[in-house]
Amino acid sequence: MLTTVLQFAFFMFSVALLLNLLRFFRGPDLLDRILALDTIYINSLALLILLGMWHHTSFYFEAALLIAMLGFIGTVAAAKFLLRGDIIE
Amino acid sequence: MLDTLPFWLELTICFFIVLGACFALIGSIGLLRLPDFMTRLHAPTKNTTMGVGGVILGSLIYFGATTGFNIHELLIAIFLFLTAPISAHLLAKAGMHRQLKLTENTRDLRKKPEQFSDEQS
Amino acid sequence: MYLALMVALPFLGAIAPLLVRHHSRRTISYAAGAVAVVSLLLLGYLTPSVLAGEVPQFLATWLPQLGLHVAFRLDGLSLLFAALILGIGLLIIIYAHFYLSQHDDAGRFYACLLLFMGSMLGIVTADNLILLWFFWELTSISSFLLIGFWFHQSNARRGARMALAITGAGGLALLAGILLIGNIAGSYQLDAVFAAADAIRAHSLYVPALLLVLIGAFTKSAQFPFQFWLPHAMAAPTPVSAYLHSATMVKAGIFLLARLFPVLGGTFEWFTIVTLVGLATMLFGAYFALLKNDLKGLLAFSTISHLGLITMLLGLGTHGALLAALFHILNHATFKAGLFMIAGIIDHETGSRDLRKLGGLRKAMPMTMWLAMITSAAMAGVPLLNGFLSKEMFFTEAYQQHLFGGLSWFIPVLVTLGAMLSVAYSIRFVYDVFFDKAHELPKQPHEPPIMMRVPVLILAALCITVGIAPMIMVSGFLTPALTSVAGADAEVYIALWHGFNLPLLMSVLALLGGIIIYLQRTELFNFNRQFDIRDAKDVFAGIVSRVTRFCDNLMQRIETGSLQRYMAALFILVLVFVIPELMNISALTGSRPQLDVDAISLSGAIILMAAAFGAVIFHRQRLTSLLMLSVVGLMVSLVFIQFSAPDLAMTQLVVEVVSILLMILALFFMPQRIPRSSTGGRVARDILIAGFVGGVVGSITFALLTRPFSSISDYFLANSVPGGGGTNVVNVILVDFRGFDTLGEITVLAIAAAGIHKLLNNLRPFMPSGDVDGRAWHQVKHPMMLQTISQLVLPLALMVSMYIFLRGHNLPGGGFIAGLVTAAAMILQYMANGVDWVKERFNYNYQSLAAIGVLIASLTGVGSWLFGANFLTSWFTYLDWPIVGKFEIATAILFDLGVYLTVIGATLMILANFGQMTTRHRPRQEGH
Repeated sequence: MLTTVLQFAFFMFSVALLLNLLRFFRGPDLLDRILALDTIYINSLALLILLGMWHHTSFYFEAALLIAMLGFIGTVAAAKFLLRGDIIE
Repeated sequence: MLDTLPFWLELTICFFIVLGACFALIGSIGLLRLPDFMTRLHAPTKNTTMGVGGVILGSLIYFGATTGFNIHELLIAIFLFLTAPISAHLLAKAGMHRQLKLTENTRDLRKKPEQFSDEQS
Repeated sequence: MYLALMVALPFLGAIAPLLVRHHSRRTISYAAGAVAVVSLLLLGYLTPSVLAGEVPQFLATWLPQLGLHVAFRLDGLSLLFAALILGIGLLIIIYAHFYLSQHDDAGRFYACLLLFMGSMLGIVTADNLILLWFFWELTSISSFLLIGFWFHQSNARRGARMALAITGAGGLALLAGILLIGNIAGSYQLDAVFAAADAIRAHSLYVPALLLVLIGAFTKSAQFPFQFWLPHAMAAPTPVSAYLHSATMVKAGIFLLARLFPVLGGTFEWFTIVTLVGLATMLFGAYFALLKNDLKGLLAFSTISHLGLITMLLGLGTHGALLAALFHILNHATFKAGLFMIAGIIDHETGSRDLRKLGGLRKAMPMTMWLAMITSAAMAGVPLLNGFLSKEMFFTEAYQQHLFGGLSWFIPVLVTLGAMLSVAYSIRFVYDVFFDKAHELPKQPHEPPIMMRVPVLILAALCITVGIAPMIMVSGFLTPALTSVAGADAEVYIALWHGFNLPLLMSVLALLGGIIIYLQRTELFNFNRQFDIRDAKDVFAGIVSRVTRFCDNLMQRIETGSLQRYMAALFILVLVFVIPELMNISALTGSRPQLDVDAISLSGAIILMAAAFGAVIFHRQRLTSLLMLSVVGLMVSLVFIQFSAPDLAMTQLVVEVVSILLMILALFFMPQRIPRSSTGGRVARDILIAGFVGGVVGSITFALLTRPFSSISDYFLANSVPGGGGTNVVNVILVDFRGFDTLGEITVLAIAAAGIHKLLNNLRPFMPSGDVDGRAWHQVKHPMMLQTISQLVLPLALMVSMYIFLRGHNLPGGGFIAGLVTAAAMILQYMANGVDWVKERFNYNYQSLAAIGVLIASLTGVGSWLFGANFLTSWFTYLDWPIVGKFEIATAILFDLGVYLTVIGATLMILANFGQMTTRHRPRQEGH
């Protein structure tokens, strides 16, 4: 049962990623793209965790952790750029 | 390996994963379909975070039951739940700053009602 | 062993005068002198065995695969030169003690002098051609430092530069020649080269090799047409001229000719080129020596002339000629060093070196006068002095040769003419300075300190004793030297009196003719005045500036600063090399079974490709394009995970985000949108190239992935745990197997970061006051919620990075990733809280952080020496502690710590300083 459910989840997340991609391209504003990017990051993270369960290994979790952290930093940087132009001041 | 768990445990894990997957997909659909930026902001920041939360919960139980409790997922969850609101907050701030076009139902409380744009983006 | 020590001593000893440079002049001179004395003693210790016919050798392998050895030999030729170098060197050190003024930095002078001495010793004792060349270049460098010793004088700098350019260029030619010789002989060891002499002479590349070696020798020995640098090198302090330009450096070229004579000599090409060049140089130098009004200029040209004489003798190549050449090397070194010292004394005591101003010094400096008369007479070839003997032998050889058939009589005539000029300028040197009428001089002339005369006295005494009793004095030295040049059964016979014969007549003619030429010199001066002789300095400067201009033009054409152009060139080159190889394989798809396509891979691939296209399509909106790029980066790291490379994925993730941060930082100073500027043709060209390159790289990857492929990774997998003590192969490779690479890389990283830091310093960038749509920036600098959460994130992130760092040796992770994670977390603090906030709490400069990192890594490497292991050998063991249990400790973690610190330091040095650039200049108008 778990196998089936994981496959189902893989499918759902893949579709979600593709939908994010659509928004990413459609825009219309830069902010929409940033938001889409952030979502892509989070969905990828979820995929990694699912992959970890699928292969029954915890090797991927550091990568997932880094995605969570760095995705956040990237989003902050982009948003700050739009707000202030200069991200380190 | 995957199918050697007790049935009720497997069921719980499956429940969380399916729940998470659905949440995530709905969030992504929302991101695509909702009419303006402010409304779109809700979908991924709430739903997708919840979706990942579900998956993480499933994983926590799964690894807790098989190889032993893993602190990574917990850390990821803490991280995500700490930072997602901040990203959303910053993005919303930027959105207001950039005076993006809003739909009729989205109110900018700084402005008077007649200034609302009725265009859909 | 003593031999190697003798060569190494001057190099090591060069530090000695520097160590005591703040002590008195006397101490410094003693320190330098002691080094020369000890080297001389070592040489003395080795001398008896050489005289007995042995050849002491020293061999230490260095890079045996390339035929490079640290190999020394002391045969007769080496002994002759080494004795000259050390003996005269010691006299020069004594002389310089009195010569240098109080303002001169004696420590630096002696250090350079010793450096030079060691390099010369290296040349004459090297047993390996490449090693010889190495020391050859060292003499170029150290003589550059010595000629330019008074670097506040522009002519000293110019002279030094010219000497370096000419001898350096000659050195390159020599290297090429040596490589050719070594290639033919199959070894660079002298013995092997000597053994292959016949093969070398018969080889088709003999002539190029000969020419290249000759260019090297002629530039060094100031032979025509490369003679012009030597007079300008006279800007050096006189002890340097006396040492370098009489006894040693200019003799290096001669030495090389003598050294390689057994290999290259004796052919038609050899004697035509070498003899004629020598003859031309001799006449040219003698003529101009007579015309010079500067004492040292006169000596410089006379040196050129005498070097020409020796070169010519080597060119003739007969047994007697070689003996005469070696003998004259010795004689010339003694009298010319003495003459230079006398010129220095005169300059020192009168303040002038101009022959037109000097005169009548015989009353003020009688001792110096006598010394000058002896040495000049030796130079002129007056009987009973050493110069006479070697010149007589020279005349004999010039007369006996039959190289040019019916026109051979030209040579003795020209040689006699040269000798006449030599006599004339020798007379001029003595007469114009010490006799003639006295002039007003800058200083009241008087005798120099006694010790300043002693070195000259010794040299003059040698001139006389060798001149009277040559067989007793030098035959012992000359026999082994001649043996090593001319072959086994060398016999030295130098006679004082040969009877009335033609050479004697030539000598008499030379003396008489010289006197006549001297008396009629005004005629000659007037004659010469009608030529517009351009100063070699100007010609040289003209050539240099023309070459520079040509290169500038070339550079402007090639290095346009257009990234597109560079990339196009590089990629086209890649295509040229790769396409033929790809066309060689029969099918693109290999034999390996292929994996099934699943939903994740498919959607990942779609996203990857779409984002890549997006980055190109949106390239005019920079931020959008950046966002596209970061999607590409994310997807690539997912691909790495898919193919089980978590280390790679993590690295990719962090690098991705950090570089995006850097680009966003830079974006602030750039126009947000790029105007459409490329023409259609250009776009088409770029698309074509990019498409091809993408296709080719894709094909290579596909071909590789679908083939069973065995690589070195099996070795690493097998040896990771037993050899490096870690189960994470990637990390073990980085910190252990290829630790030296990593050390180099982090050093480069630190240097690059320091460079960027320096470039950013004091840069005042343009800062837009609003975004691209003209909106003013938001008032709030640091949103409070972001501040709060980011401060909460920092300890979490640090914990994660520590965790990644510590477990790196066994599980995915390591210093590099951990460093980047820490750096990213710090950047977040900068973004959320501002530069000032971070400075208050973490005021540490990143340059030293990076430096400490490199230092730790290097020290870890050096540490393994303490245990007798090779550089960077890692050590590990398993400890069993109570409570903690069994765990592993490895030195690799220390190395990794170095990597970690360097990465943090370098990243923050770049990013934080980039960010601070605006803070420093922005008026503090708004708080939050």
